[in-house]
Amino acid sequence: MTEKRFKRRKPLVRIAMTLAAVFTAWHIFASFLWIAPYSPLREVVPGNMLSSYMIPMFGQSWSVFAPEPINGDYKFKVRAIIDSAGETVTTEWIDATEVEISMIQYKLFTPRAGIQSSEVSSQVKGAFDKLTDDHKVIAGLNYFKDDWSNRLEEKMKSYGSPKLVDEYIEKEQQALAYATQVAYAMWGEKNVIQVQFQASRQNVIPFAKRHDPEAERPNVKIAETGWRGPIVRDGQNNKNFEKIFIRQYKKVHPSTQ
Amino acid sequence: MNPQATNRQAKKQQPNSSPPQAKFTLASFVSFIWLLIKHVTKVIWDTTLRGIKFIEDWLLDSKKALYGIAVTRILLGITAFGLLLTNYRTRLYSFGSGSVWNGEVLEPKSDFPQIWLFSPFHSAITNDFVYTVLYLLLMGLSVLVVLGWRTKIVLPVFWVMWVSFIEANDMLGDQGDNMFRIAVLIMFFTDTSARWSFDAKRRMVTPAKKPSETREQVSNLLHNLGIVALIAQVSFVYMSGALYKAGGAPWSEGYAVYNPLQTLRFGTWPVLSDFFTDWGPMVTILSWGSIILQMGFAFMLLSRPTRVIALAGILSFHIGIGVLMGLPWFSLSMIAVDSIFIRDRTWKSMQDRISSLASQSKNSATLKS
Repeated sequence: MTEKRFKRRKPLVRIAMTLAAVFTAWHIFASFLWIAPYSPLREVVPGNMLSSYMIPMFGQSWSVFAPEPINGDYKFKVRAIIDSAGETVTTEWIDATEVEISMIQYKLFTPRAGIQSSEVSSQVKGAFDKLTDDHKVIAGLNYFKDDWSNRLEEKMKSYGSPKLVDEYIEKEQQALAYATQVAYAMWGEKNVIQVQFQASRQNVIPFAKRHDPEAERPNVKIAETGWRGPIVRDGQNNKNFEKIFIRQYKKVHPSTQ
Repeated sequence: MNPQATNRQAKKQQPNSSPPQAKFTLASFVSFIWLLIKHVTKVIWDTTLRGIKFIEDWLLDSKKALYGIAVTRILLGITAFGLLLTNYRTRLYSFGSGSVWNGEVLEPKSDFPQIWLFSPFHSAITNDFVYTVLYLLLMGLSVLVVLGWRTKIVLPVFWVMWVSFIEANDMLGDQGDNMFRIAVLIMFFTDTSARWSFDAKRRMVTPAKKPSETREQVSNLLHNLGIVALIAQVSFVYMSGALYKAGGAPWSEGYAVYNPLQTLRFGTWPVLSDFFTDWGPMVTILSWGSIILQMGFAFMLLSRPTRVIALAGILSFHIGIGVLMGLPWFSLSMIAVDSIFIRDRTWKSMQDRISSLASQSKNSATLKS
């Protein structure tokens, strides 16, 4: 049978083929284990060989919208205590999510800027929800005087679970740095004395009730956090934030122009 | 002879004839088994050899899916360009110096900014001028990728810059970024510009010296293994997407797509979201359809009719995600990689049809004038 007779090839080619095929087989097997949900099959690869091969170059996670797709909105609101011509005034809440989401709503090509505040809110609310009730009470108190950041952290840690507190503090700092940008944009850098943010989640009307005219969205769940001092990180360009945020704010609230 | 006599005779003969028959059966049984073993072994051996030969020839003799991988290159280039263009106006707000509040300048969340090669965008975040120059440069490179100009050099440079850009901001990233990075990395081993590119045009005008047989075979080998790795990557992604979903009540109960479509972030066209989720059976078709399609994708590729269904289905699935959920560039990068599943023959006939239409319209235009 001629069809099974091998073509004449250089041994070098065959060696290269074998090596490349073995490597590809390993890559495919490793990808399979990594991409698939975690299973005992991963134990066939010794030690941390799998993760050290996959990370960072082939890092990926495909549990998107699974096992349960997201069914709620994260929102982020900001208000501030400002110095208005010598008087301290507490401002109205500004809905930063409403402003940013308008960049992607009814758009075919969506800038990533539109999801920032939802992402900030989801991260800080997630970290807040993991705290114990004692921690949550502390987070709800006002910390804005000298060295407030360290004092808040110490106070929270005195109630235990330092790891959860660290995670929360990191996310709170990020949320505050974002809230500060919103406040500076809205009321002017020089006027803002204290800021407060409100990260919330509200679920959508359940599927089964979508045709019920009486149906209302479930209650808004808010991470109650107190007043804080503003946070500006090194290298932050306030103007670049303000320009886009205010332009978008005016589009959403045309009457304020 | 009467029949009875015959019967008797036969009965008489039986005891006599049975011992040699038994002997014959045992011997023949043993030899039959031996022959069978020999035959089966030979069949297995031949099949194995034929399989190895098939794989060897498949890997070494020609490059597969040249049109498909060219389409992948073009679509990934368009994805990059489109994403950069869409974010251009807000680049300093969400990626540049206006976004330092997210903390990633001080402490990157991704591993990449900490690797020197991928650090340029990260180090340029606080410098608007340098950041914008890099941004425009990356846009230019993405155009060259689409055109297929000097791809062997351009593609790796583009990839390094792209990873540097997209990984400098972890917070706003999605899984499409990972697919993009992995796909382009695998594509380094493939010949992405053999079709529909400036490189192909140049090679036609001034043909390069024919490479040695060994070089040619090794280059085919790397190309084809790259295609295999890419196919595996995509198939696993869909399959695991289905496995992850299968455990969730909203998916198994057939209403999962309703939930994200009703949120602000993943329901960017509220009117369309309401339209698609109004009629219950439609919601179930969309929800179950996505799981079944994802799970069956790899197997459906194996025969032509099911492949057409799988590809048409996955294309609509991605267009749905891209439009309804506001994730156009995620969807386009997934569609780009799926292009390798359409055979060269099909791409070629599409090309022929389009060029014949073009020449027809040219002819009619000259006739009119």
